[in-house]
Amino acid sequence: MSAPALRPAPPAPWERMQAVLELQDISKSFPGVQALKGVGFDIGAGEVHALLGENGAGKSTLIKIMSGVHRPDAGSIRIDGREVSFASPLEAQRAGIATIYQELLLFPELTVAENIFLGHAPRTRFGAIDWGAMRRQAEQLLASLDIHDLDVGKIVGTLSVGNRQRVEIAKALSQNARILIMDEPTAALSEHDAGRLFDIVRLLRQRDVGIVYISHRLEEVFRLADRVTVFRDGEHVATKTVADTDCDDLIQMMVGRRIEQLFPKLTVPIGEPVLELKDITRRPATNGVSFTLRAGEILGLAGLVGAGRSELAQVIFGVTPADRGEIRIAGRPVAIRSPSAAKRHGIGYVPEDRGIQGLVRAMRLRENVSLAVLGKIARGPFIDRGAEARLAEDAIRRFGIRASGIAQIVNKLSGGNQQKVVLGKWLASEPRILILDEPTRGIDVSAKAEIHRLMSELAGRGLAILMISSELTEVMGMSDRILVMREGRIVAEFARGAATQERIAAAMMSGGEIAVQVGAAG
Amino acid sequence: MTGEARAVGQPLARLRGLAFRHEGVLLTILVAALGVLALQSDVFLTADNLLNQGRLMAEVGLVALPMTFVIVTGGIDLSVGSVLGLCAIVLGYSWKNLGLPLEGAIVVALATGTAAGFVNGWFITRVRVPPLIMTLATLALYRGLAEGISQAHSVRGYPDWFFVLGQGDVLGVPTQLWILLLALILCAVALARTTFGRALYAIGHNEVAARFSGIPVDRYKLAIYTFSGFMAGLAGCIFVSRVSTTRSDMGTGLELDAIAAVVLGGTSIFGGVGTIAGTAIGLVLIQLLKNGLALTGVKGDATIVVIGTVLILSILVTNFVQRRQEGDR
Amino acid sequence: MATTAPQVDTASAATAALRRIVGSQEAVLFLAICLLLVVVGGINPRYVAERNLESMLLGNAYIAVAAIGMSMLIISGNIDISVGSLIGVLATISGTLATAGYPIVVAWLVPLALSMLYMALVGAIVAYLRIPSIVVTLGMLSILKGGLISATGGTWISNLPAGYHLAQMQLLGLPMPVCFMVVLTAAAALWMRYSAAGRAVYAVGGNAEAARLAGISRERTLMMVFIVHGLFVGIASVLFATQLSIIQSTVPPNLELSIITASLVGGVSILGGTGTVIGSTLAAILIAAIGSSLIFVNISPYWLRAVQGILILLTVLADLMRRRRRAVRG
Repeated sequence: MSAPALRPAPPAPWERMQAVLELQDISKSFPGVQALKGVGFDIGAGEVHALLGENGAGKSTLIKIMSGVHRPDAGSIRIDGREVSFASPLEAQRAGIATIYQELLLFPELTVAENIFLGHAPRTRFGAIDWGAMRRQAEQLLASLDIHDLDVGKIVGTLSVGNRQRVEIAKALSQNARILIMDEPTAALSEHDAGRLFDIVRLLRQRDVGIVYISHRLEEVFRLADRVTVFRDGEHVATKTVADTDCDDLIQMMVGRRIEQLFPKLTVPIGEPVLELKDITRRPATNGVSFTLRAGEILGLAGLVGAGRSELAQVIFGVTPADRGEIRIAGRPVAIRSPSAAKRHGIGYVPEDRGIQGLVRAMRLRENVSLAVLGKIARGPFIDRGAEARLAEDAIRRFGIRASGIAQIVNKLSGGNQQKVVLGKWLASEPRILILDEPTRGIDVSAKAEIHRLMSELAGRGLAILMISSELTEVMGMSDRILVMREGRIVAEFARGAATQERIAAAMMSGGEIAVQVGAAG
Repeated sequence: MTGEARAVGQPLARLRGLAFRHEGVLLTILVAALGVLALQSDVFLTADNLLNQGRLMAEVGLVALPMTFVIVTGGIDLSVGSVLGLCAIVLGYSWKNLGLPLEGAIVVALATGTAAGFVNGWFITRVRVPPLIMTLATLALYRGLAEGISQAHSVRGYPDWFFVLGQGDVLGVPTQLWILLLALILCAVALARTTFGRALYAIGHNEVAARFSGIPVDRYKLAIYTFSGFMAGLAGCIFVSRVSTTRSDMGTGLELDAIAAVVLGGTSIFGGVGTIAGTAIGLVLIQLLKNGLALTGVKGDATIVVIGTVLILSILVTNFVQRRQEGDR
Repeated sequence: MATTAPQVDTASAATAALRRIVGSQEAVLFLAICLLLVVVGGINPRYVAERNLESMLLGNAYIAVAAIGMSMLIISGNIDISVGSLIGVLATISGTLATAGYPIVVAWLVPLALSMLYMALVGAIVAYLRIPSIVVTLGMLSILKGGLISATGGTWISNLPAGYHLAQMQLLGLPMPVCFMVVLTAAAALWMRYSAAGRAVYAVGGNAEAARLAGISRERTLMMVFIVHGLFVGIASVLFATQLSIIQSTVPPNLELSIITASLVGGVSILGGTGTVIGSTLAAILIAAIGSSLIFVNISPYWLRAVQGILILLTVLADLMRRRRRAVRG
């Protein structure tokens, strides 16, 4: 489908006025990755401006800059035309920018009214908290959001998620927020609560609050937003009025790019099934997942953050065992109720958060590499330091780890090298099945290529690999088959040649097309 | 191979320097303390006195060994004193009131200690009660059981052979000191050289990563708390043998001494760092301190002032040093 | 969207509030006390005789007062296991000042000042140096205990001047300790519930990061709560000192445990962020009542500590389960 021609849109009301919040030429980089490259974004009073992009496109970095958590390396932030700079989240709050995060920052033991007014409660003449006024103002705030069924004296810990979110919104309003940033607000909500949220958004709009709305649910964008901005790879792709675009157009903007093969994948004979999942369920993140993984195969698992991919990996790996369903290893049903059981069955897991889940950062390279195979480098109960040293040196050589030696504390290594240590750790256990969760996230290009080369080599030797990745080029470049997960389920499957980034992205998001079983079935 | 050997040898030497820095400083202090105390009193450096000090510190020492394991994993066990008291009472009660042969009573006492530790470990790993609270509760519960079972009666009249344990010598060295030395060597080897010890350090630094690496975290934690209970039971038997009687208030304050020895020895209260060697030096240092103070006429109760001060100072210093070295917390 | 009529709302709000009160720890404790009085009183009527009740309350009122400060401390996420020895030291200082001829008011007020200073020091170590409070107070415990014994040499203080014995006085017909207990509990409860500083303690104990984002300083809040705790300990020590005509050189064994038990059983969660001081006072009364009841039903009082331990365990387990259930639901 060709991209629709850009028609100049009639100037919308907010375009005529000055934007309340305007970011220009913002760049921000972190060690190893350039998160934002000269992007711009603006929002006016009473506007709902949706922000779209894949994982890693830079959306959350932009939000953090807007709310004062990070400071940009370059570029300017303006409020009402005046340039500002936030030294802390508190300053952004005082400037009228409020953020509703996915993990709500409420105090479960305090009441609704207290949570709304914590830190800025109305005071009496003597300086004590005016509880009556606080209560009244809380009720007024809720009423202004058309919320009439929430008692401000209730303890927040007893509230449902939907209600807690409404408390957060009221809290933001109590601080006279002019801009409200909502990050995936409907992710944890029921349909009913989501509907109420939309009503609140419309109300806020009428009160001239500008809303930055991040969501992967395209139908919401079309329902609520006035304008939509798309980011890709840290760059600003386009900003359009919602009336001027459609789903396909948005998806194309989000993922359309030249596919550069980082490393040509070898064709490898695919063998017998080594891992079979039937209807694996674990509330609330995994809802009946089934697939088969074969020896020599690289199975890519795509999906948005929150789709449940890492949760699935942790179910397979025994960190959070399944409530229901069956796992078979090489045809035999097994029960995996702990990581040590998973290890025994030949499964290895390179986790998403390498710093906290993958490595003991305070320990040395040699100690980390041997951590999953302590039995192997031991003679009886005693650690054989020679064997451990050999294992570590082997890993350094094999993976090209740049370190000062096997005694290096891994905290000092770069991201790419740390990842290689984790890989080395798990490969030392000689697994049959390797689950890689975002294996090249935050890693520079050359290290990425090395890891991809390694993956191909391992597959060539018969290892079965489940690769979770948010980078569509990686998923398409490396996988023999691609599964797409959404809300805890597999919603699509693609064979290697049959996938396009647009099709995968559409499957990942709701409201787009759902492509089912395209190409030769696995 | 030489290049590799050099590459391995250099960081190893640096490692040795770093690892032993705290223990090295402690050793120096120990030697200096020995010197000062020897000057203060002629009795101090006699074999008699030193061996007697060894006898006295056996109970704390036995309990400080598993306490090192526990604190290395980031936990704590405040109930060891109460377990000691409970096992002492159970020993007396099983022998006198239940009529068991003394050997049997000893076994029952050891089993009680083991069970007490197991209960701690079970609640900490399965129910996920924070170790601080669990062992605070059992500190009360076990002491309470001791008081309830004994009803403030003490048991006396043990057969002579029993006193060899607490008051006797083997080859000129007090019996319990041999036991302590044996336990010390076993624990030191376990912590420093076995896969189990390595796992404990990993758990202390980063329990999540340890779990994700397939280390049976819960099983190991259960094991060390159970071991702690067992050692407290053993210390209880030795204590009874040493003072020839059982009373329900035995072991009160033992946890303080043990934790002080462990922390003074360089083990971090946050976990991940510590050695048995350090605990041993810390133990000796504290015992000598007590001895020296006693010999210069300071009453027993005042010495715990010093222990408390030592505990706080050593934590402050360790904390300060750790911050400078910079971990990844 | 249809709006519900306001009158219906207040009615449902009232029932919700009522349900919350009835299901609370405080109500459970109150019921437990009543139950105990009825059952044990039925077995042995002398248990509920005025003299026994009075002595039960009188002798333990200072524990309830100390538990007020301890509850605040635990709500903020910390603990103090040196409090028992501290009370002993302060009581001795108070008595020493009184017998040395200083005005009685001085003997009453100096312990408060010293206690607050001491707690400021401990609070500073915990708040700014980030040393866990359990360890700091573990060390202080022995410093204070040993210091007390060596300073007093184990002798008791007698020859206390007339007019010193605050705890033996009466106010409006009620024994002074009971008055203190009731008034201080009420004042503290109000302060914790309705003042910004009191709410800050809950915030820091519940979620220190979110508290910081709301502009609440963890360090200042902790310093404050330690000092307030010191104030209550000081008052408790004066009540303890003036109870009898002599001041012993030791405090009841495991006094700190009794105080902590009162707080925990009173509903203060060890994970911080929840609980009330009313609960801890009720719990202190309950524990005293249990202890006293053992005598009247011919169970050896030596089982009291075991009971305390079990109570702590049960309360902690209940709290954990409550939190877990809430987490799953929310």
